[in-house]
Amino acid sequence: MGRLVRRRLLQAIPLILGVIVLNFGLIQLAPGTMLDVVTSEQQISDPAQIERLRALYGMDQPPIVQLGKYILSVIQLDFGYSYRHNDEVLSVIAQHLPGTLILMFAAMSIAIVVGVSAGIVAAAKLNMAWDAIISLAVVFFFAAPTFWLGIMLTIVFSVQLGWLPIGGMFTIGADFGPLGWLWDLIRHLILPATSLGLFYAAIYARVARASVLEVARLDFVRTARAKGLSGSRVLIAHVVRNALLPVVTMFGLQLSTVLGGSVVIEAVFSWPGIGSLMVDAVMSRNYPVVLGVFVLSAVVVVFANLLVDLAYYKLDPRIKEKA
Amino acid sequence: MKTISRRTTLLAALATTALTLLAPMGATAQEDPQPSRTLLATWGGFEPQAVFVPAGGGGSPEFTSTKILEPMLEADDELNFEPVLATAVTPSEDFMSYTITIREGVTWHDGTPFTTDDVVFNAMEYWKGVVASAAFQFLTGAEATGENEVTLTFSQPTPEFFLKSALVRVLVIPKHIYEGTEFATNEANNAPIGTGPFVFEEWVRGSHIEYSKNENYWADGQPYADGLIIRYWRDPSSRTAAFEAGEVDIGVYNPIPAADIDRLGAMDEFATSTGGYLTSAWASTIEFNSRNPIVSEVPVRQAIMHAIDKAFIADVIYSGKAVPGTSFVSSSNSKFYSDDVPQYAYDPELAAQMLDEAGYPVGDDGTRFSIELVAAGWFEENAQIGQYVKQALGDIGIEANLNVPDRPSSFRTIYGEYAYDIALSNHSAPAELVPVQTNFVTTSGILKGVPFRNASGYSNPELDAIVENLTSETDEAVRAELAHEMQTILAEDLPITILVEHTSTTVASADVKGYDHLANILANSWAGLWIDESE
Repeated sequence: MGRLVRRRLLQAIPLILGVIVLNFGLIQLAPGTMLDVVTSEQQISDPAQIERLRALYGMDQPPIVQLGKYILSVIQLDFGYSYRHNDEVLSVIAQHLPGTLILMFAAMSIAIVVGVSAGIVAAAKLNMAWDAIISLAVVFFFAAPTFWLGIMLTIVFSVQLGWLPIGGMFTIGADFGPLGWLWDLIRHLILPATSLGLFYAAIYARVARASVLEVARLDFVRTARAKGLSGSRVLIAHVVRNALLPVVTMFGLQLSTVLGGSVVIEAVFSWPGIGSLMVDAVMSRNYPVVLGVFVLSAVVVVFANLLVDLAYYKLDPRIKEKA
Repeated sequence: MKTISRRTTLLAALATTALTLLAPMGATAQEDPQPSRTLLATWGGFEPQAVFVPAGGGGSPEFTSTKILEPMLEADDELNFEPVLATAVTPSEDFMSYTITIREGVTWHDGTPFTTDDVVFNAMEYWKGVVASAAFQFLTGAEATGENEVTLTFSQPTPEFFLKSALVRVLVIPKHIYEGTEFATNEANNAPIGTGPFVFEEWVRGSHIEYSKNENYWADGQPYADGLIIRYWRDPSSRTAAFEAGEVDIGVYNPIPAADIDRLGAMDEFATSTGGYLTSAWASTIEFNSRNPIVSEVPVRQAIMHAIDKAFIADVIYSGKAVPGTSFVSSSNSKFYSDDVPQYAYDPELAAQMLDEAGYPVGDDGTRFSIELVAAGWFEENAQIGQYVKQALGDIGIEANLNVPDRPSSFRTIYGEYAYDIALSNHSAPAELVPVQTNFVTTSGILKGVPFRNASGYSNPELDAIVENLTSETDEAVRAELAHEMQTILAEDLPITILVEHTSTTVASADVKGYDHLANILANSWAGLWIDESE
């Protein structure tokens, strides 16, 4: 397993480098620069001051030099300085990262638990009422835009019923103590995580249903039944374990898209995460932050895929044998 | 038939009399400001780039910084000047100098006393050097001439309304924090220290900014609210839900969609108000690039204005939350607005005829000429106006290639590269025309790369002279006449004009009090806002 981890980490280096080079190039191609935004917002018209700012941001050097310097800085874990925030990029990202990680973790937990359970139930009750209900729900949550679902859930649970807060991560200015703090966070998290998670739950439900049905037809399952095992034991111990492999693959692939999906949910629920930071950074051409977030996303995806590989290692004995 | 007894009549009369006497008392009691809980606010825009942007930075940092930092004066809803950090601003007889008397006993939030040194520093280093307001262009010196007095001297006569308007807009920053530093990157911009009613506490980016009450505020009993929290939702519908769930007390600058403004406004729990935008009227503008030989021709511009139905833009695109523009100056500007200028009624046939006469007949391909139409991407309505104008111009045979760049690209396209023939943009103008509004049309306003200046390249010596006179003329009646002359020239030449004036609306819970008389609700300190918790 150690070799697998080392190999994956080594493979991550060219990947992250590629992400930096590609995104740096894309940023250079975008019309308008950070200097345009800064001089516009600050109403700076003095050419000397503009040149001073250009030098301050390192924009007076050729792009290739800027890129080289940036890569060298990243190797030293220096992601640059966000002049818009008056702070180090790493610090700015660190302020937003916990919000996004919490939201991603909660949403994916909902997606996996709800989606996989629904898929298994639908497969187990094939062509029965439960299957039809779950299939209908899957189509609905897959088709419903997450921002619309978020607003609808808000109207029902916050406006009409008044059960849950409407936005933010915590009750501002409140001091509830450690347990109260956690409960406050959970209350704020329920609606955004559900809005985001149900879309992915719909995908997992479809994958899990199809996978369970496929595995249920295999010979070893028939053998397990022939041995006299109960239906539920066959389903849980033999079918589901093997049917989970595509779900795990899907999980790894979707972690990066959840990061993208959180942009919309953060806007609806005023959730202070990476998504809103990214939108602001792109709109203000705040390159250091944009690149920092891209690199971070690449690292998240690399680690997510590493986790998926490790999960495969545990779930599928054949991979363990190959390793 | 049931008859009414004498006793019933007497009781009814007594009750009516008692109610008549009690009602005003009740109303008065209700309107007396009371200390109240923390005020929860939002606004119809995005989060600021910094809590305070020394050079301005637009409405968002203006909203967040003016609760902490204060100006010398403020304007009321009749454009009278009220004292804030200055208790008096007195011109000399020749208007070549002004004496500012500063308020005594004011301290910065870190406990440092506010002194005349702060005012001298602000005048010379900040107002003149960084804000670069035209009112301070001719400022030659600032000197403490008494314990609480500072005298500003100018190289030419400076009109009183002109200077006082500037003193309403510029904030006073602490010398001991900013002296010797790069203002734009000073760390205090994200945690300002001011003299205002609220003290900065925390900024959770993507969520909210929290302020606490300034217990040492100079105005007795104020601020009434125990604190202030400005919350941000990117999605306007989420703001509507926040209002309905009671998570926001007040929102300024159209915080929710137009349909929701009408719906909430009809409910007893909410109040809507269009007051508070007197000195910051927003408008959608159309600007013709004088560098293009075709649209630089005045008859072509006039024809195009006849082809655009401004009422349609106001009614359909803005859902009635706008009114057609009639001059270069907004109609809300009671000081300088005049509609006694040439008007261009919607008449596409006349427009087509004028283009024929100007030498641009419809060609074989069905068009007269083509233009680059740029709609600035900072308001989504601009894109819709762009679509409409493209169609309207198409109806009279002008092919318009519409481009809606995002915000940074719009700055570059319109104000940096002048890469447009017709631009659809916006401006927000204070009551005083110089310099914010005149910068759009004067020759000195042509500053490549600087937004919200003269991008059309229009240069008219007659107009420049009028603006110069506006800068130095001290008789307000003469200034109003000069402003009228300016509007007439601009209505004829049409380098830039207003398509529609936005009707900005404040939405608030019915129990929020103290905001409906303000001239500029966004830039007010909100010391006088409170929540009636008796209901």
